[in-house]
This record gives sequence, structure tokens and C-alpha cells, in this order.
Amino acid sequence: MADTEALLAAWSERSDGEAAAWARARPGPSLESVATRISRIPQEFLDERISLRALAGDILGGQISASAFDEDPRVRQGAAIGLWLVASEDVLEPLEPALASGWAALAVDALALRVAPVASPSDWTSDDERRTEAARTFLLWCGFLPAGEDAATAASLLAACDSLARNRALAEAFEGHRHRAEIARKLAEARRKEAAARYSSE
Amino acid sequence: MSDPDLRGALALAEYAPGEAAVLSDAERWPTIDAAGTARLTRWREHPDAPHWTHATGDRLTAEQVQRVRHPLSTDGWLVDHLAAARRTLRYRGMPTDAALDDFPTISRSDLVDDLAAFVPLDADLSRMLHGTSSGSTGAALLIPDDVEEVARGFHLLVALAASAGATVTADGERVAVANLVFQRQAFTYVSTISSFAHRAMARLNLHPTAWSGLDARARFLAEADPQILSGHPTSLAELLDAGLDAVLHPAVVFSGAMALSAALRARLHAAFECPVVDVYGLHETRPIAARTDDEPFRVLDRRVHVEVWDPRREVALPLGEMGEIVVTAGENPLLPLVRYRTGDYGRLVHLDDGVLGIADLEGRQNTRFRAGDGTLVPCVELTQHLQARGAQGWSIEQAASGRVHAVIVGGDEPAIRVALDALLGVEIELRQVERLIDLGEGKPRRYRSAVPD
Repeated sequence: MADTEALLAAWSERSDGEAAAWARARPGPSLESVATRISRIPQEFLDERISLRALAGDILGGQISASAFDEDPRVRQGAAIGLWLVASEDVLEPLEPALASGWAALAVDALALRVAPVASPSDWTSDDERRTEAARTFLLWCGFLPAGEDAATAASLLAACDSLARNRALAEAFEGHRHRAEIARKLAEARRKEAAARYSSE
Repeated sequence: MSDPDLRGALALAEYAPGEAAVLSDAERWPTIDAAGTARLTRWREHPDAPHWTHATGDRLTAEQVQRVRHPLSTDGWLVDHLAAARRTLRYRGMPTDAALDDFPTISRSDLVDDLAAFVPLDADLSRMLHGTSSGSTGAALLIPDDVEEVARGFHLLVALAASAGATVTADGERVAVANLVFQRQAFTYVSTISSFAHRAMARLNLHPTAWSGLDARARFLAEADPQILSGHPTSLAELLDAGLDAVLHPAVVFSGAMALSAALRARLHAAFECPVVDVYGLHETRPIAARTDDEPFRVLDRRVHVEVWDPRREVALPLGEMGEIVVTAGENPLLPLVRYRTGDYGRLVHLDDGVLGIADLEGRQNTRFRAGDGTLVPCVELTQHLQARGAQGWSIEQAASGRVHAVIVGGDEPAIRVALDALLGVEIELRQVERLIDLGEGKPRRYRSAVPD
């Protein structure tokens, strides 16, 4: 298994920051509709013999960052459940609005690298709270607020079920990775823009 | 630099014209009015204007314009500052009642290694600008500048001018401030100051290659006639050497970045008949102290706390003893530094009026090299090229014979050799070493020259 902190660090690099995700989130499908589909995942998605890269390629038409950690069963299962959510719109019917209209690959990585390392995916089908955590996380990174919720409500409800918050040492380590990645992103963004006029030499 | 083949060796991508100019004028100056826009147009399109290489503004919103006109309060600032520091990754394990004395010193290498660990977790990153500091040991450092702190810098100059008896006014159309550099390649731009009635300011490169001709340079400066001239010793010396003092009437002159010699200050004072303020500060710390004479530097009345420490041990030194200047700096909310070792040396003294002073300040350098064709090349030009080619540190000496002996730490040695050849055109002995310590203990001087300054 990959080091849990390394997976969280990889997620910090992959995501563009939670603030940005909440800012762009728009009204999406209901929480229940996503949670229900998680509990209905076909067993073949969880088959260890299936290549995560091949599955992602088929469903998303592209790759996910989680593939780099596909030897880790948590990552494999988390990613597989995310890929099932995307595939389910073809197999069953599209959600309203369709998940495929959002950032599906980012949402799959969020399940695999942000949730799976701290809340075992095997619990997502059996434990209501873990399933809710996975569904809320998927919606956020896919670019959606659960139907009927505003961003503030959705943020506080996701924070309340965040498994990472229950592991202080890991949460602090993640905060460090997240902050460093955020500063690096902001500095690069500031560099792409312009400096400000300066009045004296230092 | 007569060999055209060598010109490519001196191209620095980030100084290419317009390289990072991506904002609209409305983003650069959100509150600009018609008169401000007219000023921009006037100086941008002036027939004698230099080849502007860049465009940049102060980016202030209407609320920020109001705020930056006033200095940050210093009442109880240190308590809030240490609280902000504890909200960084670096210090979050510190107890909530930790006082300044509980904090260790940090140095530039700490920032180079893990800058984000010094930015508060709750900092407002939307205010972040990108700054770089060349520093005194060589390794370039990215610095998260704060948009309001940078803008407040202008009003600090006005306040320092006032305390020296000089008045800077938003009446009339004189350019408010010209920030002067003198190097082959530099960012230059014209801007307006949103918090100063949108009066114009400009960053100007006095190097002849930046202008269509020396007459154009003189005419432009005469018409702009900036109220504040700010620069470093190299650019200010060029004003005098080129006789440009004849067309300028500054209310105040500021020198920074490098040590201003008493002789040059006296020349500036005589030429301009106005206060000449030498400001000591680092990009990381913002301005720390200033002086207008040969007396010790006066520590500024702002969010800055100065100590002197043993340069090699974690021991603070008593008043009066020579050591490394260590600064706790609270003006930039994105980088609340605690006990930052500056790499500069001095003694703390109490001045007559009770203000803390820094005596015998040394460490900042202003060295010029003589090129094969007789021109003087300021050390900042060497710094640009050495850093652009990855050197982590260096020691470069020029003997009276003109021969240059250079030791570099890391970097692209063949490319550095080409660049030094192109810049200086003299015989160069270049040696590459692996570690900074290989340059010598303490704070090795980056530049020495037998050429008189």
C-alpha cells in the first residue's frame, strides 16, 4: 500500500484548492441519487484483475492521477467507484444535471486520493455516513452542490463527515501539503499576471 | 558588447518586452479616472519616452486606496504578529503564549527551502503578488508580496520625505516618483498612483540602450521632473555622471538596495539641494531603517523589531556589540517574519531622542567592474546573469590589471563563462565549486573590484 500521506500529498498537487472548488460549484444532482448509485456498484468494477488505466481510458477517454497508485487497493477501489458513477449514466440513466457535464476525472481522483486513503471504500457501500462523505466529495470536485443546498451549507455538511478530520496528525500533514501546493499555485498564477508598480529599490 | 554574436548570450527571457504584461488597464488601476488615463497616455506615448518593456499598475480597489494612504498601526503589533506567525506551518506547534524570546532565528535558506511554511494558513492569498529577491548570498527567492503593502510603500516615501523637511504634493503634473535603475536589461513601465490622485510614476532605466538617444533621455527626464527620485547608488551616480542633475529638481532622493557611500550622498546633496535618504531594508523584511547623514540608521516607526545576534550561534548580543542584524518584520501580512537573519552586520545603539539606531551597517554592496572597452558594469548585471544560469552563489574579483577571478557555486558553467565574457570582455579565470561554504565562511563578499567606485 502506498503511504497515506503520500496519497494526500498527490491529491494536494492534483486539486486546485477547495476554495476554488466551492466557488465554481453549481446546483447539481441530489445527494441521494449519487449515494444510491454508490451502493449499487457492480462487482466487476471492484475486480482486482481489471486495469485501472484501461477502465479510466474506456469511461473517461483519458487518464486519472490515481492510476499512478493503482497498486494500492484503497486507491483502486475508490477510483473504481468514481468511474462507476460516471459509467452509470450510460448504464442506467443520466443524473440531472449529468455528471458527465462536470469535472468527472477530477472527481474520480478526489474519491481515490482524498477520501479512500482515510475512509476505506469497502465501507462506502455498507456505512451510510461514509457513503455520504464519498457522494458529497464526488459532487464537489465534479463541480456540483447537492440539489437544494447552497455552498455554505454543503461545505459545513461535508466538513462534518470528513474522515480526515478525525485523524489529527494526518489532518495536519494534509493541511501542510495543501497549503504548500496552494502557495505554489498562487505564486505561479501571480507570476503569470504582473507584479505591481514599485516605488523604491530594496 | 560589440560582438553581435554575443548578444544572444545576454538575452534574459523575463526581461523580454511585454513578457508578463497580461492585464487590462482597468485591472491595473481599478479606480482610474479620465485625467489619470490621460497621464498614462501622455507618458507612454511621449516622443522621448524610453522603450517601455513592461506595463504594470497598483491594482488597488477603492477600499484599498483608502487603506494604503495610512501606515499600519504599531499599537501592540508584535502580539498580533506572533499570533499570525503561529498560524504558519513553521510555527503552529508553538504554544499560544509564546513570546518573541521563545522564537529561534531563521535565515534566507529557510525561506528558499520551504517558503509556504512561513505564509499563514489563513492568509488572504487573493492579495498575493509575485516578487523576487536576488539577495545577498545568490540564491533567488520568490516572495509573496502583498498588494496593499507594496502600494503603501509610496506613502512611506512621502512620510520619510516629510520628516526630512521635504514636501511631495499631488498638485500639478510633475511625475510623483521615478524609480531609477541602471542596467542593460530591466523592467520599465509607467503607472499612476491610485492613492495619490492618480499622479504618474515611472520605473526608468538610465542605461543608454533603453532610450532612442541621450538627448531623448534628458528631455524626457526634464519634462517629467519627478518629485521623488528613488534608486540605488549605481543609478543615482549615473544621474550625476551624465549631467542629468541639471534638468531635475527633486524634493527628495531615496537610495536603497546597496550601501550609499558618504561621498556619493554628498555629491547628490550638493547637486540636488534636497534631502538624500538612504533606506536600509530587504525585500523580505520591507524597509527597516533610514538615515540622511553619516549618523547611525534610525529604525523606522513601523512594524519592525531589530536585534543583533551572534552570526554563528543562537545568541542575541547586547546593545552596542557588532553582529548580524536580525529583524522581526510585520508589514507584509503574507510573510510575517520572526527573527530573520539578514546577513547584514551592524551595532544597535540608542540615539539621542531614544529611537533605536543601527551603527556601522555593512553588508550591502555596490561594486562595479571595468569591461575591456572601459565601460563600468554594475554588479547587479552580473547577478542577473549568474542567477539566470542557475548559480547559487559566487565570488567575483577584479584585479587592478583588469583580470577577473570568478568562483561560482553550481550553475551552468559554460553558459556563465559565455555571459561573463560578453558582459566584461576581459580575461576571466572561472572555477566552479559545489557548495556555498566553498566560497568561505561567514558572509562571503560576492563582488570585489580594484576599480575605484
